[in-house]
Amino acid sequence: MRARTFVGVALAVVGLSAVLGFGAVSSGGAATAGASSSGVLRIGTVNYIDSLNPFNYIESQAVIGQMMVYPQLVQYSPAMKFEGDWASSWKTSKNGKDWTFRLRPNAKWSDGVPMTAADPAWTINTTVKYAKDATAVAAAALAHVKSAAAPNATTLVIHYESPVGNVLAQLEQFMILPKHVWAAKAGADGKGLKTYHPELHLPIVSGGPYTIEQYEKKGTTAFKPYPGFYGPKSHASGVALTYYTNSDAAIADLKRGNLDWADQVPFQAVKAVKKLSNAVVTSIPSGETTNITWNSNPAKKKHRELLDPRVKKALSMCVDRKQIIDVVFAGYATTVESIVGHISPLENPNLGPLRYNCAAANTALDKLGYTKGSNGIRVAPATSGANAEAAHPMQYEIMTPTSLDFNVNRAFDIVKKGFAKVGVKVTQKVGGDSTAAYAIETGDCSGPESKQYQGFDIAMWDWVGYLDPDFQLSVVTKDQWCSWSDTGANNPAYDKLYAKQGTTVNPNKRRAIVYAMQKIVWDNFYYTQLVNEFAIDAHSTKWTGFYPQLNAYSKRYWTNPSEK
Amino acid sequence: MVKRIAYAILTVFIAITLNFVLFRALSGDAVSALRCKQCSKAFKEAQRRDLGLDESKWVQYKLYLADLAHFDLGNSVPSEKPVRGELIVPIKNSLPMIALGTLFAIVFGTLVGVVAAWRRGTFADKGGLYTALGFYSMPTQWLGLMLIFFVAGAVGLPTSGIKTPTLGLFTDASTWEVAVDRFKHMILPALTLGLVLYGDYALIVRSAMLETLGEDYVLTARAKGLKNWTIVRRHGLRNAMLPIITLVALSLGFIIGGSITVEYVFSYPGLGLLTVEAIDKRDFPLLQAIFMLLTLSVIFFNLIADLLYFKFDPRVTT
Amino acid sequence: MSLIEPLQAADEDALAEGIARSSRPGFVRTAIAGNRAALVGLAILAFFVFVAVFAPFLEPYDPTAKTGPVYDPPSSAHWLGTDDGGGDMLSLLIAGSRVSLAVGFIAALVAILIGGTVGILSGYFGGKTDTVLMRFTDYMLVIPDIPLMIIAAALFGRNLKNIIVIIGIIYWTSTARLIRAQVKSVRERVYVKRAQALGAGNRRLVFKHVLPQVAPLLIANTVLMIALAIFAETFISFLGLGDPSTISWGRLIENAFTGEATINNAWWAIVPPGVCVTIVILACTMIGQSVEDALNPRLAVGHLSVRRFRVRTLDGKAGAE
Repeated sequence: MRARTFVGVALAVVGLSAVLGFGAVSSGGAATAGASSSGVLRIGTVNYIDSLNPFNYIESQAVIGQMMVYPQLVQYSPAMKFEGDWASSWKTSKNGKDWTFRLRPNAKWSDGVPMTAADPAWTINTTVKYAKDATAVAAAALAHVKSAAAPNATTLVIHYESPVGNVLAQLEQFMILPKHVWAAKAGADGKGLKTYHPELHLPIVSGGPYTIEQYEKKGTTAFKPYPGFYGPKSHASGVALTYYTNSDAAIADLKRGNLDWADQVPFQAVKAVKKLSNAVVTSIPSGETTNITWNSNPAKKKHRELLDPRVKKALSMCVDRKQIIDVVFAGYATTVESIVGHISPLENPNLGPLRYNCAAANTALDKLGYTKGSNGIRVAPATSGANAEAAHPMQYEIMTPTSLDFNVNRAFDIVKKGFAKVGVKVTQKVGGDSTAAYAIETGDCSGPESKQYQGFDIAMWDWVGYLDPDFQLSVVTKDQWCSWSDTGANNPAYDKLYAKQGTTVNPNKRRAIVYAMQKIVWDNFYYTQLVNEFAIDAHSTKWTGFYPQLNAYSKRYWTNPSEK
Repeated sequence: MVKRIAYAILTVFIAITLNFVLFRALSGDAVSALRCKQCSKAFKEAQRRDLGLDESKWVQYKLYLADLAHFDLGNSVPSEKPVRGELIVPIKNSLPMIALGTLFAIVFGTLVGVVAAWRRGTFADKGGLYTALGFYSMPTQWLGLMLIFFVAGAVGLPTSGIKTPTLGLFTDASTWEVAVDRFKHMILPALTLGLVLYGDYALIVRSAMLETLGEDYVLTARAKGLKNWTIVRRHGLRNAMLPIITLVALSLGFIIGGSITVEYVFSYPGLGLLTVEAIDKRDFPLLQAIFMLLTLSVIFFNLIADLLYFKFDPRVTT
Repeated sequence: MSLIEPLQAADEDALAEGIARSSRPGFVRTAIAGNRAALVGLAILAFFVFVAVFAPFLEPYDPTAKTGPVYDPPSSAHWLGTDDGGGDMLSLLIAGSRVSLAVGFIAALVAILIGGTVGILSGYFGGKTDTVLMRFTDYMLVIPDIPLMIIAAALFGRNLKNIIVIIGIIYWTSTARLIRAQVKSVRERVYVKRAQALGAGNRRLVFKHVLPQVAPLLIANTVLMIALAIFAETFISFLGLGDPSTISWGRLIENAFTGEATINNAWWAIVPPGVCVTIVILACTMIGQSVEDALNPRLAVGHLSVRRFRVRTLDGKAGAE
């Protein structure tokens, strides 16, 4: 999955229901007594932990790593409901603006310093203080937060500017840092917060189920169970997370018994892995959707015909999504229309659907005046006015990044064939890894806005959606230019709706707004959604107790598995 | 001899300049840190200052040379950290593997080449010649894939990485265990590299030996009644040694190139894999440093071979 | 001045003999015909050229279409099975021969043109031109070819045209040296001097007298260069730097690697493309070697490959050969 999208996941919120969020839900806090009974859980992954600094990271695995060493207020239970992590209960004030959390008592950081409410209070206040700069990445989880206070050692109060509907989902991605370590690092303007990397200064002060024995960014990071953890202790006597440059090698090691868990099985390998006698394959619908990204910057200078939703829709109608599912995803995917993906309970089911009909597509393009030239390629007629363009053939480049978990070359081939059937020619441009590819989309973000989002027409990429659609809906707002936006979309009406849904507490009202927003995205074809992937992982038959659905949602993801 | 060293130094200078031309002057904007989206503003400003990115190419060149004099190889774009630091571990990883492969090629290449020349025209000759030709013609990466597919599983060798990740992690592992583990991971990559090189070397050694064995003094030796093997050993081999030494130096370019694909196929975290990753990340400062390092190595080894020739070949007088 | 020189001083006599022999008409033809290995090589090359030329007629299926299940083993429907996209391997192989051989031939041509020109100019005019050009060649030689190729491919775009040019630009140097030595020796031959005395212009001399003399060596070198260019293309494609819209043997090997062929036990996706490349390179090598052998049977060290260089002792005198 796209690494940086997980940062979005980190910011994403679940608005399951504000109602459900109220009240005390206790986590299975009964810690299993005694030492861990299993061996070392050896995980193979193609995503590495690039940083344990919650203010400065890119990779998705970093979220999991952070979750294992930092306490959080709440997390998801295996049934995907909220349960307390460090918090044992919570309540809201009548006006919905103050949330009070009761924290488990007598918890200690791994260096012996007691954990108190002062830690989350400090972390929240500091994050809010520098939200515009140093702590921006983490601040999104604290949208609309005014301040936090710690009336006593086990009580935390968070003051919101206005009632927010998805508080728990937001807080689920928020990491609580040890004040006695981080306060000293802040420096002027909090800049020091962004540059401090605790993984490079072991031993790390941990408040989670593990401490870190060894950190190798692109090698193996070793996690040792922390006996003083307040929650359910790790069953495994250690976790070794090893980075592989390609999943083939991870599967080979799983086959040979050198790994217990390969957290991402490539789609092309699923059939073969299923045949292994010592491995079990699990596949669950995931939040990841793949798309054709259309440059939707209204101020785009070249190829402005691609701003017309009718053109984009016609082209999309001739893309054989079923074949993509069959060839690229080995059947482990379903078609999808909304950008929030099937994983979200707030997915709008009434969009489209986009039907596969090349004949209709051809007719539509003919009617719009894009006549086919002698070589079979349609010609976009000359335009006049502000951004006038001469007539030109409909020939474009589709940019593809290299860091995808599916074979984008094959997907491109299918798209290319589809477009060719309606008289549009596309060539593939390999964009490099996610950072390099994203730079192609945005252009120079330190330069003037007029030069941004001018450097590409079409791309193919993916997003990892979250249960709450807030994050996914935010990526097409103007505010996310040079942050999360890859389309360069700029729709003031849409942006207004986005702001509104963030503070709408009534779930039905919010649903209506969220549905409307998804419709706007679909109608404008900022993206052509292709498929919703399955998440497939494989683990050794010697281990049990895996919760694949809790990937980056709970500490139990690692602490629960045990050897049979 | 001084002349040779002087020429080598001149070549080094030219190589450094060429490096600058290739990465800065030609590619211009594409590789400029100014265009780097993920870089922090502070970093971009620092780069602008340190590298003189606003100035003329001539000024940039002078800054570049000054930096090199201080062993400053620039900063990697994705990590914003000095390139120098990123090179050390990969180089340490690559060297033993490359050395093992080259050693294999030298030993077997010499062996096969000598035997083939000695028994010219016989089956041994033809067999040696054609296996050498065969391996020589194979694309290195394909040979690696074939070894992974057909050999690794059968023999039980690992096919990726430099070590077993969990060895010595939560439990202690003896130095011997670690060494064996490392060696096991090194075998297949080294073998892949070595086999293609072997083809090369066997052919050259065979030819060098054939030539030497055809010399007049060998005929004389035979007439004197010396046994074949003695002739081969005393005259042929010694005279063939020089071309062999030089050959290793000269095939360095290929060794380096071949190791890039070998490390990619076997996910072996050495300099070759670093190069591939740097290309993917568009980390041009790192690529520039790697490229210069490789070029300088080749020049250096050429000089060594040169000096060896000077020392050992009696026909050379300057 | 460097270690790398194509000929030892002693071999120049041999070369002179060789050139005298090679000036007989049909030299190349005889050289190849007399050598069984070379004949086999020629037959193989001809076969692949035939396949490449008539590819569209020979392909059983459209190589870019999904005509079977993914990674289907060889069967009567798909003689070499299918690849990770369900495409017929045999058709892909046939289609790939076009690009692989085309790149090989054209890139080799570019390299020969540049190298040949430099070599002829250098050898013919001698003196300052020679010194300058040879210094330049020397410096080009120390640059590791494959890293340069890879970086150039990454920098300058991934389309077929650029790749051909890059390969050509990197590999001209050995040809230059080879041709230069030949030209120098030819130049001394009597009839050239005689023609000069008669007032023939340089151009005429080069084209009418020098060029035919060096032609056999050029041919041998071209064939070897083709092998090298094909080799280089597989390297570039394997690292994902090739032209994404073309099918070549190198690309097929890359597809097998990135398409999980090993895990799927799909040997039919891995073995055939590599075998094709190996056979073609082998064929080229045998042809080239036979011509070189014929030029100088004692020069058995040969210029078997343009990857390797004959070793010569340094003696600082640029005009020594």
